[in-house]
Amino acid sequence: MEMLRTEFLGKKVSSPLVLPAGVMGMSFSGLHFSAISGAGVVTSKSLTLNSRTGHKGPVIAEFEGGFINAMGLCNPGIEEGLAEINEFKKVCDKPVIVSVFATSTDDFIKLTKYVNTSKGDFLELNLSCPNVFDEFGIPLAASKEKVAEIIASVKKISKLPIIAKLSPNVYNISEIALSAEKAGADALCLINTVGPGMLIDKKMVKPILSNRTGGLSGPCVKPIALRLVHEVYSCVNIPIIGMGGITYGDDAIEIIMAGATLVGVGTAVHYRGIEVFSKINEEMKIFMKEENYANLNEIPKLEKLWTKDSHCQLQK
Amino acid sequence: MDKRFTLPIAKIVKETDSVKTFTFKHKIDAKPGQFIMLTDFEGGEKPFSISNCSADEFSVTIKRIGEFTTRLDDFCEGDLVSIRGAYGSSFFISKKKVLLVSGGYAVPTFYFLSKVLLANGADVTVVNGARSKEDLLFVKRFKKIGVKLFNATIDGSFGEKGTAVDVAGKLLKNENFDFLYSSGPDLMMKALQNICGEIDYEFCFERYMKCAIGICGNCTMDPLGLRLCVEGPVLPKEKVVQLTEFGKYHRKPSGSRVDF
Repeated sequence: MEMLRTEFLGKKVSSPLVLPAGVMGMSFSGLHFSAISGAGVVTSKSLTLNSRTGHKGPVIAEFEGGFINAMGLCNPGIEEGLAEINEFKKVCDKPVIVSVFATSTDDFIKLTKYVNTSKGDFLELNLSCPNVFDEFGIPLAASKEKVAEIIASVKKISKLPIIAKLSPNVYNISEIALSAEKAGADALCLINTVGPGMLIDKKMVKPILSNRTGGLSGPCVKPIALRLVHEVYSCVNIPIIGMGGITYGDDAIEIIMAGATLVGVGTAVHYRGIEVFSKINEEMKIFMKEENYANLNEIPKLEKLWTKDSHCQLQK
Repeated sequence: MDKRFTLPIAKIVKETDSVKTFTFKHKIDAKPGQFIMLTDFEGGEKPFSISNCSADEFSVTIKRIGEFTTRLDDFCEGDLVSIRGAYGSSFFISKKKVLLVSGGYAVPTFYFLSKVLLANGADVTVVNGARSKEDLLFVKRFKKIGVKLFNATIDGSFGEKGTAVDVAGKLLKNENFDFLYSSGPDLMMKALQNICGEIDYEFCFERYMKCAIGICGNCTMDPLGLRLCVEGPVLPKEKVVQLTEFGKYHRKPSGSRVDF
């Protein structure tokens, strides 16, 4: 695994592949199963102050290009969630991202205080869940002001480096990413699911998901992820965890070329099994050997196609 | 791709006061132990083990428990439901002398398994347990296909008085079985595990499922992280013996642990 070793925010990482929030992250054992299957970093389910049951089923539906899902932020609450993370750390030393979700600065601060007492390595602020609109309205990640306010407040007290999870469902991703960086984010994670979208059952004439809508993931969102990661990479100087439709080694290489330091693999756990992490690791190594890249740093980045000024200007 | 099919319930059989079998005229590629996800698009989608499956139809047997299954209980023949699957692991199909031990509403899975085992030449003994006579499922059907059937009721109202595990214990002591199958509540299977000695087995577990396709992680079992919707619901002995949560706790829809 020598070729795939890297560093992320001061922590050694055995593979750039990340288990993202919402996939296999409900229990310490789910995180561990993913880690021993080849993920270099694992992320907890987004934790809230109190436990949440989530939406009623169906919570996921497949179509040709991927899935739509709306789990509804089900999680056991911050205290039990952190207990699972601490239990994971007893059996595995791979870095853990503790993902948290709230709708106010105060609640993010409360969550951060809990996370400070845990064995987690990084704190991810989920600002971008697209599936709780009925309950909470437009995601915080749609507003550069709210993003800045929350990150700045959390930054003051967090003992862990902060990763902001951004939404793809905006027209001004560079502005939002810059706002997060300026407020003190140590890294960015993008993209969350796209849309949201809807699928219909034509016999019963009903939306398939009980939430009516759900965020898109899977191969269909990869081009969106590549574009957004590159746009953000062009404008900020902090590392990016890139994700969205990454299924094969080639996809992982492409999103690294777009600007990602680490690469999330979520929906592909369904397509290729939990072994997807080791499969992608091997596929990346094959490509790197063919191209004579000795390590991840030697994989070239796409020449920046946007600049801070030109793009933010354009977005105004 | 994961195929969803929406179709009418072709036939409904009332098994007990709270259990019904729905049959669908549809070819499904399913093996014993596997399950489907069923929804009415009114909020709720649950896994149901396949209780019978032939070339052109399949059945699931549904116990009225919560809000969703109470709604299903009012469904009539011809009403539409939407189904996806079949999902999950399936039972090993032995050719030898086997013992199937099940209790309560987990029993119907073993009707499908018994038929496939018999067709494969196995010598099949079934222990069918329930609280009382009114709760026993599939007694006539098991007799009809020619398994050796032992019914057990806790109140002694039908068959032998005692639990399915009590009856299984006697059988295991007096006869030599090559393989053991069990499906039912954790505590029943745990009790069976404690008395079954060295025999090789497979157990079929139940945990709260959401996505059913191995992504969400709600149905993982500690400490291995095995997803009951992909690596399960049927797990082999070598995995079962490693499960620390077996017989101790399960996870709610929120992921919180609850003791049995």
